[in-house]
Amino acid sequence: MPPAAEASPARPRASLAALFYEFLKVSLLGFGGGIVLAHRSAVERRRWLTDLEFADALTLCQFMPGPNIVGLAICIGTKTRGLAGALAAFAGFAVVPGVIGVCLALLYLGQTRIPLIQNALNGVSAAAAGLLIGTGLRFMRPHWRDPRVVIIAGLAFAGLAVVKLPLLVVLLTLAPLSVAATLIFRVPLQ
Amino acid sequence: MSPLSRLTLYLAFVSSISFGGIPSVLPGIHDFVVVTNGWLTDRDFSNFFALAQTIPGPNMILMMGLIGWKVAGIAGAVAGASATTLPPCAMYFVGYRLWDRFRDATWQKITRVALAPLTFGLIIAGGSVMAHTADKSWPAVGVTIAAMTFLLVTRRNPLWMLGAAAALGAAGVV
Repeated sequence: MPPAAEASPARPRASLAALFYEFLKVSLLGFGGGIVLAHRSAVERRRWLTDLEFADALTLCQFMPGPNIVGLAICIGTKTRGLAGALAAFAGFAVVPGVIGVCLALLYLGQTRIPLIQNALNGVSAAAAGLLIGTGLRFMRPHWRDPRVVIIAGLAFAGLAVVKLPLLVVLLTLAPLSVAATLIFRVPLQ
Repeated sequence: MSPLSRLTLYLAFVSSISFGGIPSVLPGIHDFVVVTNGWLTDRDFSNFFALAQTIPGPNMILMMGLIGWKVAGIAGAVAGASATTLPPCAMYFVGYRLWDRFRDATWQKITRVALAPLTFGLIIAGGSVMAHTADKSWPAVGVTIAAMTFLLVTRRNPLWMLGAAAALGAAGVV
């Protein structure tokens, strides 16, 4: 397969305004489900990236320090439009909502919490958790019958969610294991 | 050194080593601003945390902005939020440029194929950890399961699900 086969020329070009707008939306409507909405925007709606490129950017972000979801905005911006794209996505994701958020917070401070909003947020966070699990499962769906994928994903899940090991420990243990498995079983490289 | 520059340098340092996200260095930040320097009370710190969770947007950046605001007003808010965000963002940008440049190298194809299942597992784990804190009642568990199913069987915008869950929550069902 030629190396550029996956990056088809039909891929739509991302405008800086669209990058700004999509990540503003992801940030303001995300409520902990940022990954889900970023995938929806960048992969399903805009088709700036393929599923694989999205997962790949996310993997890189997991291995780097900082707020991972901001990293995802930077990576998608960089991938589509270089430095200008990264800045547009960053402005949409962090700068504008950050300014709005600090102003709102300063208005809120000292006031008692509004129960209606608190209740609504309880519902939202329960749904956001389910959407995130669903996103992970959807990524797995093409690989259900691949024991390597299922076992490594299962171990990562168990290490973090069941044994509650620190993320870095899980990554540094499983990454070499998974690379070894890929080489030993001669997994095709797409 | 002024409190503002001490806070800025400290946040820039910890954000650069915050593998797994800012929450992983939150205990250290707490010790620095509450215990070591006494800029905030324990109560301020937990109020800011809760507040940041309820306001839409990047919550950890917001929380660091509020801590900065407490230390040095508006300049502090800008410095706190920037110190937390900019160093990792510079790393993300440079890191991704390098990663993308060697996209077709064999070593990277191997790494990519090998690490993808890890990411799948981490996403599912992230969701279930969130579910663990969010699902305080059986209806909440039901909402989580419904949202998961929604994503697996439909191609509709997830905002519909979030909106419906917000309505259920506001009605006091969850």
